[in-house]
Amino acid sequence: MTLDHVLTLLLVVPAVGLIPLALFRDARAAKQIAIITTFVELVLSLVMLSQFKVGEADFQLVEKADWLPSLGIRYFVGVDGISVLLVPMTTLLTFISVLYSSGGAIKQRLTEFMAAFLLLEIGMVGVFISLDLFLFYVMFELMLVPMYLIIGIWGGPRRIYSTLKFVIFTLAGSLLMLVGIVAVWLASGDPGSRTLSLPELIAIRDHFSGEFQFWVFLAFALAFAIKLPMFPFHTWLPDAHVEAPTAGSIILAGVLLKAGGYGFLRFALPLFPSGTQVWLPVIITLSVIAILYGAAVSTVQKDLKKLVAYSSVAHMGFVTLGIFVLNSQGGVGAVLQMLNHGFVTGALFLFVGIQYEKTHRRVIADLGGLAHMWPLYTTFFGVFVLASLGLPGLNGFVGEFLVLLGTFQFGGAPLGGLFWGPLAGIGVILAAVYLLWMFQRVMYGPVREAYRALPDLSPIEVACAVPLLVLTVLLGVIPQPAIAIIEPSLDRVMKLATDPTFLVAMK
Amino acid sequence: MTSNDLVAIAPELIVTITALLVIVVDSIIDHEARRTWLPALTALGLLAAIVAPNAYPMVGLFFGGYVNVDGFANFFRAVFIVLALFATLVAPAYLERKGVPPGEYYATVLFSTLGAMTIALATDLITLFVGLELMTIPIYVLAGIQRRDRYANEAALKYFLLGAFSSALLVYGFAWLFGVTGSTRFADIAAFLKTGGIGNGPTIVALALVTVGLGFKAAVVPFHQWTPDAYDGAPTPATAFMSVGPKAAAFAAILRVLVSGMGPLALDWSAVFAALAAITMSAGNIVALVQTNTKRMLAYSSIAHTGYILAAVAASSAGAPAGAAVLFYVFAYGVMNLGAFACLLYLDLEGTRGATLDELNGFGRREPLGALTFAVFLISLTGIPPTVGFVAKFLVIQPVLDAGYAWLAVILALNAVLAAFYYLRVVVHIYMYDAESGAPALVSPRLLSFSLGVSAIAVVALGILPNSLYQWALTAATPVLP
Repeated sequence: MTLDHVLTLLLVVPAVGLIPLALFRDARAAKQIAIITTFVELVLSLVMLSQFKVGEADFQLVEKADWLPSLGIRYFVGVDGISVLLVPMTTLLTFISVLYSSGGAIKQRLTEFMAAFLLLEIGMVGVFISLDLFLFYVMFELMLVPMYLIIGIWGGPRRIYSTLKFVIFTLAGSLLMLVGIVAVWLASGDPGSRTLSLPELIAIRDHFSGEFQFWVFLAFALAFAIKLPMFPFHTWLPDAHVEAPTAGSIILAGVLLKAGGYGFLRFALPLFPSGTQVWLPVIITLSVIAILYGAAVSTVQKDLKKLVAYSSVAHMGFVTLGIFVLNSQGGVGAVLQMLNHGFVTGALFLFVGIQYEKTHRRVIADLGGLAHMWPLYTTFFGVFVLASLGLPGLNGFVGEFLVLLGTFQFGGAPLGGLFWGPLAGIGVILAAVYLLWMFQRVMYGPVREAYRALPDLSPIEVACAVPLLVLTVLLGVIPQPAIAIIEPSLDRVMKLATDPTFLVAMK
Repeated sequence: MTSNDLVAIAPELIVTITALLVIVVDSIIDHEARRTWLPALTALGLLAAIVAPNAYPMVGLFFGGYVNVDGFANFFRAVFIVLALFATLVAPAYLERKGVPPGEYYATVLFSTLGAMTIALATDLITLFVGLELMTIPIYVLAGIQRRDRYANEAALKYFLLGAFSSALLVYGFAWLFGVTGSTRFADIAAFLKTGGIGNGPTIVALALVTVGLGFKAAVVPFHQWTPDAYDGAPTPATAFMSVGPKAAAFAAILRVLVSGMGPLALDWSAVFAALAAITMSAGNIVALVQTNTKRMLAYSSIAHTGYILAAVAASSAGAPAGAAVLFYVFAYGVMNLGAFACLLYLDLEGTRGATLDELNGFGRREPLGALTFAVFLISLTGIPPTVGFVAKFLVIQPVLDAGYAWLAVILALNAVLAAFYYLRVVVHIYMYDAESGAPALVSPRLLSFSLGVSAIAVVALGILPNSLYQWALTAATPVLP
């Protein structure tokens, strides 16, 4: 049985969930409505995945409708191998966040919290399925306001500073991208035939001059680099993560950061091949700096949540590195890294949150000996830590390995793959250092009296962690199905990005 | 004068009759009845005026060519009426609370709207000037209508003095223009300038005087100094109206006179407009950043919005899309800015004062619906989708880039980030701080909540489905900017 309009339904379901939420305004009802809505959305995204034909490179399940016909702007959605896995990842992490938050982590204004999450889900799913730049921009910004409220209302003591920093940084990037989008629209043809649909833009991209690509790529890259975040635009991230409530951190790290990496792959690379070539050395250098810097800074963090946040900077460095070495291995590795980082770092933030709810401590020095009281917690947390540092057999390894493989093969730029590959490899080793050292200090050592009576994982917490654990192991042991889905579409993007006939001579 | 002439200006006639009726009825009925009947009468009259041109669509030149009913005029008529209606519906409870005579409030709003509508219809300098004065003089009254309040008096006086000054400059510029071209008709002026060109002293003097005069009315930096004090001191419903109505009318005049009438000069003049736009939006935003009183903050931010609209005016060489961007932005700005000011009416404060940021603490809990609409208006003013404010910014950036002002588009984008900082800081105070013990009392009149709710829904709906409004703006802009 096939379900028509499944992508549109994915955008409609959370919106429908908002209606009863607004009508009942009761904490208990809000929990149930939000859990049911996000669960339906999760199931729907799996139906979508099951309808996806593996092995085809082009967009599938496409839906089109006129939106602003006088401007050639359309409602245009579709998925390919790059986005089709990111959508279920988003719906799963949202469901887990909602489930965990309904277990008592959020104590005030629950209805509003759940409403913000449903609104956020529309934006997140929309970002991954939009094929019209205008629609993409709307969805990209739609993620902003709910997250702003989630950090600002339900966050920690410095939440207001953090949330404003998050919004201002992100807006600065995305508004410049808006100028870039309008420039692309104007360059797409004569008045009356202009468009913002991705496939049509790719077809006419040889109209984009070298100088044009230089500037517009920069405008897009700034937005994505801030969202990702790339070094040196990462400074909003630790603040936002530390102050965000657990569910907010899970979504922020798990999904929102991916919008940046995804944006590079979906729009910047295929549309501006010569812009990509010009900026590539800069981005590769910044990626490797991010990997090393993120790892080094993580090592010296005193705060557990900040440590995980900085480790995200390093992990995202692998994503941009994999994308910009412009070959199949690197690209597939980058997409896998996005997925894996979503599951694993989402899980790490979940566990840091669970731990904080119990002990009310996040400074590593205040913790210790937790393994003796919490065997279940330790097992789960241990697996996710190992996955995060890239242990073979778990999912983190596959992505990072492929990215490194791609990097070694990389022949362009000033220094080549044999220079960048080993440097990035050091990042993997450093990850083992800071993660294992953290695990040792937090979980082992003498039991502290203050924590002796604290309970292990509750059933609801186990329910949240199990799907993530299963995926972590599964994607680590048999990554082949995922690679088979990603590869054809990714090769297509890489071909578009490196096609010599389209590389406009730079002025 | 034929009967066709009268049918063509039916909306103006209806507004005039309504205004006169309000004055008459005000003097007959008793105090209690005024509270409900006067706003009802005003609203009905405005609704009739908005329906009239649809019932008998008349397009063309009337009154011997002195009245031009085209798509442009109809668009602005609708904008002015909608804004007047909005300003009418949010006011009753405030007027009652402050002891402002309601009859005078509604009548002045109606007369001012009539003046604004006349501007949209004008085909010559004299009709335009009469319309401009008819629009502005009631606003002077409106600013000082709380006559026992010190700040309202200051606001009225400042507004009156600077308004009179700018009118004088404008009429002087019109005189020069007449002297140069020998006609007061826009069409004749345009034809003369097309052959004569800009390259002579008197034309430049005329152009400069008209630009400065209209710049005062629209609050373009450096002619904006009256704005913050006038907006801050006027009674809040009046501020809400005067921050949008006269500004929309000023842009109608700018499009009719400077862009359409002096069309041939637009190319030479547009660099000046681009510079003024950049200065206006940056100055407005930077000063708004440091305000702690929301009313004053919104006053400065309205200057920034003038800058955004002016950027589209500067891009008039891009043709109809530039005009459409101005019209769309004027409408969007009108609804969201009036709404944002009107949200301050929930707080019962002494005099004409607006709420400080701290006084808004906990507003989200104390008045959930009002806070939600306030947040929607602020997010729309920032330009974040899915709101009409975002579409308006998108539409402005497009002709600006097309006309070759990439630097202006980047400045506009960066300004929107600055604006985000102070708009969202208000949202922070509404939702993220708890109310303190000395928090001001709240009033929640049903009519206020209803009209704010409807317009907030409109702001979001037009942000998601902007096509019909854009189409309308595009057709409306064509007569002025083909």
